[in-house]
Amino acid sequence: MARLVLEDVTKRFGAVIAVDAVDLQIEHGEFVVFVGPSGCGKSTMLRTISGLESVSAGRILIGDRDVTHVAPSRRGVAMVFQSYALFPHMTTAENIGFGLRLARVPKDEIARRVTDVAKTLQIEALLDRYPRQLSGGQRQRVAIGRSIIRDPEVFLFDEPLSNLDAALRVRMRLEIARLRDRLDATMVYVTHDQTEAMTLADRIVVFNQGHIEQIGAPVELYDAPANLFVAGFIGAPAMNFIPAEIEAGENGKANVRFGAVSLPIGREAAEGKVTFGVRPEHLSVAAESEHDFLGRVEIVEKLGAESLVYLQTGFSKAPITMRIPPELSVHAGEEIPVRVGRKRLHLFDAEGRVI
Amino acid sequence: MEGDKRFWRAVLLALPLAVFAVFVIWPLASSFYYSFTNWNGFNPDYDYVGLDNFQKIYTDKLFYQAAINTALWMIAAILLPTALGLGLALLIDSSVPGSAAFKSIFYLPICLSAVVVGQIWVWIYQPDWGLLNTVLEAMSGERLRYAWLAKPDTALWSVIVAWSWQQTGLSMVIFLAGLTTIPEDLLEVCEIEGATTAQRIRMVVIPLLTPATVVVIALSVINSLKGFDILYIMTGGGPFNSSDTLAMHMYNESFKKYLMGYGSAISVVLFLIALTIIRVYFRQLRKVDELYG
Amino acid sequence: MADAAVLPPARPPFNPWPAVIFVALIVLALLFLAPTAGVLLSSVKTTREIALGALWSIPAELYLGNYAEVLANPAVHRYLLNTVLVSAPATVASIALGALAGYVFAKLPFRGSNLLFLVIVSGMFFPPQVILIPLFRLFNAMNLIDTLWPLIVIHTAMGIPICTLLMRNFFATVPNALREAAILEGANEWQVLIRVALPLSLPALAVLATLQFTWIWNDFLWPLIFTQSDEKRTIMLGIVNLRGQYSVAWGVQGALSLIASLPTLVVFLFFQRYFIKGMTMGAVKG
Ligand SMILES: Nc1ncnc2c1ncn2[C@@H]1O[C@H](COP(=O)(O)OP(=O)(O)O)[C@@H](O)[C@H]1O
Ligand SMILES: [Mg+2]
Repeated sequence: MARLVLEDVTKRFGAVIAVDAVDLQIEHGEFVVFVGPSGCGKSTMLRTISGLESVSAGRILIGDRDVTHVAPSRRGVAMVFQSYALFPHMTTAENIGFGLRLARVPKDEIARRVTDVAKTLQIEALLDRYPRQLSGGQRQRVAIGRSIIRDPEVFLFDEPLSNLDAALRVRMRLEIARLRDRLDATMVYVTHDQTEAMTLADRIVVFNQGHIEQIGAPVELYDAPANLFVAGFIGAPAMNFIPAEIEAGENGKANVRFGAVSLPIGREAAEGKVTFGVRPEHLSVAAESEHDFLGRVEIVEKLGAESLVYLQTGFSKAPITMRIPPELSVHAGEEIPVRVGRKRLHLFDAEGRVI
Repeated sequence: MEGDKRFWRAVLLALPLAVFAVFVIWPLASSFYYSFTNWNGFNPDYDYVGLDNFQKIYTDKLFYQAAINTALWMIAAILLPTALGLGLALLIDSSVPGSAAFKSIFYLPICLSAVVVGQIWVWIYQPDWGLLNTVLEAMSGERLRYAWLAKPDTALWSVIVAWSWQQTGLSMVIFLAGLTTIPEDLLEVCEIEGATTAQRIRMVVIPLLTPATVVVIALSVINSLKGFDILYIMTGGGPFNSSDTLAMHMYNESFKKYLMGYGSAISVVLFLIALTIIRVYFRQLRKVDELYG
Repeated sequence: MADAAVLPPARPPFNPWPAVIFVALIVLALLFLAPTAGVLLSSVKTTREIALGALWSIPAELYLGNYAEVLANPAVHRYLLNTVLVSAPATVASIALGALAGYVFAKLPFRGSNLLFLVIVSGMFFPPQVILIPLFRLFNAMNLIDTLWPLIVIHTAMGIPICTLLMRNFFATVPNALREAAILEGANEWQVLIRVALPLSLPALAVLATLQFTWIWNDFLWPLIFTQSDEKRTIMLGIVNLRGQYSVAWGVQGALSLIASLPTLVVFLFFQRYFIKGMTMGAVKG
């Protein structure tokens, strides 16, 4: 059982703290995605798990074995690189069988297992080609093939799809999802692409400046972000943040006020300054009588399946984004009535923590 | 636009092509011509002698000796510096302290001329007080006085050692340059897949150094074909022609015996050898281009 | 988990290899230095000290007389001057011609240009002996034997293959968009070459300057064939010639060798910074 445990793992590069005291448990068979802005330490985290980087402090356990100082090849991990890292002088078959050749596995067994893997990935026809003769998506499959042939306990992917064009990325994403269901192995997957994270992950780990901001299932992070950072990072277009205040409302419950708007939040809360967050899809164009505020339309982006509207309001310097059905006709310069959905209100205190 | 390009091509290529044609291509062609004559180097007159010179090659014992020596010389003078240079580059690349100093030390001999290198090694091989005998005598405790360069058995090999000492630095520098072009992630794959150092070098590093190797071999071939100077300085082809090469033989026949026609015939043979090597080289180059280009 | 965190992490295993490699390199470096060091040592000893059998030992005292002797010899001045008069123009000319041809092959290819390029590059592989006799006859007919002209011309011509190869490879890495942008701005090919391509190819120029200068300075064969009088000898011929004059003065010979090698050493040290970079871009990635 390949449980992966990180205890207080820290990695420093000189003065830069790339990974800062990370504690994390990943269960056997789980697919965990690391997301976070560029430079936040995702790759470094992954590379310390693989052993390519040694830790500055802390412990790493794979399957309850302390592998902190074990050589990468003895950790039972396989890694798929962003650049694919295929050997240009080896054919597809040789690239996939590389690890077995190193371990001096008999030739016919290598051939058999390479063929099996190639079948799984549907690249049997490419076994005799060199990397230069393959397309980006095909190279990616070969790289994945090389990682699955050794039956590792833990798979590590570092932005494996980011070099592919948009259409291919969607297809490969589905393939990786299929692979995840078939392989019954622990997988750690780094990406900065939200869609990849949301669609693939059992759990998402949000990194920021070397530490973990929140861990949770995709929907959990989306519906109940623990802090401003996660709320702003997860979801595209991003959540609207509005400076607001908590004030006393009816029945001892509190209201949130911004500008002339005051909304009941349906529970108690201490009075004071807060940040009010609402996702673009929870704003809607309302009938005249039901609206909470009026906004002047600055820009309309018609995406086909939906439209994004950017509004100027009196209470927020940044434009407020809302998502509306495509058939609603809204024009720049118009003033429209907007209603805030009552169910999904997010409030954050001065430190950015959710209230 | 295309007219412009044609104009500039002509302008830019005119001078290099003219110089190359007059002083390289034309002499090359004339060598063939003179190889069918008996020109002696002074006399403006000479006769056409047909294939006489080539028939003479056929019976020239010294030519065979020189041809064998040339083959030995080229094989050793290519393999030794290449292998040594590769070894040094791998050692230095393993991030040792003072790598810059090591690089300079191993490269230093390249800056020296054949004349100077020859002189240094003549001293080393000197029978009475040379460094080699001094050290060997100190180690064995016997008086040795072996005349390395004056014995037919060791003369050629002694020069090859001196040559390798000089040329190793160049291969090393080129291999070091090649090592910097190997992508880091490929080496990381080796680490994750569990390659031993030997496996990594044999299965990944050396294959990936192919472009550098091609350059090293090319330079070694060029330099070793030109390796006339150091033999001339150190042994003059002797003793008893035991270190004669084709280049040396050609020089002796042409400029010592003034048999320019015969010398030309030898140089034609040299040319054909070079041509064969070039063809092999370019075929390799194409293969390399396909994989690494 | 809390209790596990208190445990000190297991130590990484000790790796002896860096130390072994370092020692191996030191030994090899000493072996490689020994020949040069021997000459250096001999050059600061008196002839008497050497004659007593101490050519390879540390000198009793630093004796600079050998250098004084060499530097005071007017013949040496002449040899050095002749060598400069050959090396400098031939180095510059061969690189210039190589740059011209290399630019056309990299940026203005035409039908058959690849074949022409291969023909030029194969010139690198021919031993000079192959063209020796016709050139001797040519320069003889032009009455230029025993002048420096044949040396300058031949070194320039023989340098064209390698210079063309390296310059083409280097120019090929200069983005086409740069050339096109310059052309749209109204530049002609000559201006693109001089103002855009060459400034971006300094490492290649450094490599070629080092290689060409070293080869030409150190050359022995061509001056041996084309010069006869002492007036026109280059330094390498001069060293061999002076051997008779200083036959047992090993120290003077050593000093002479070192002085003759100084220019190439200086050129290498000067361009060293660019050398590896130029090699990487111009040759290894070619
Ligand atoms: N080898 C290294 N040396 C020094 N700093 C590094 C090194 N690798 C990463 N870093 C630094 O560590 C931080 C995290 O980098 P990385 O893990 O690559 O981020 P991410 O993959 O999330 O974009 C960055 O500030 C980066 O500059
Ligand atoms: Mg990264």
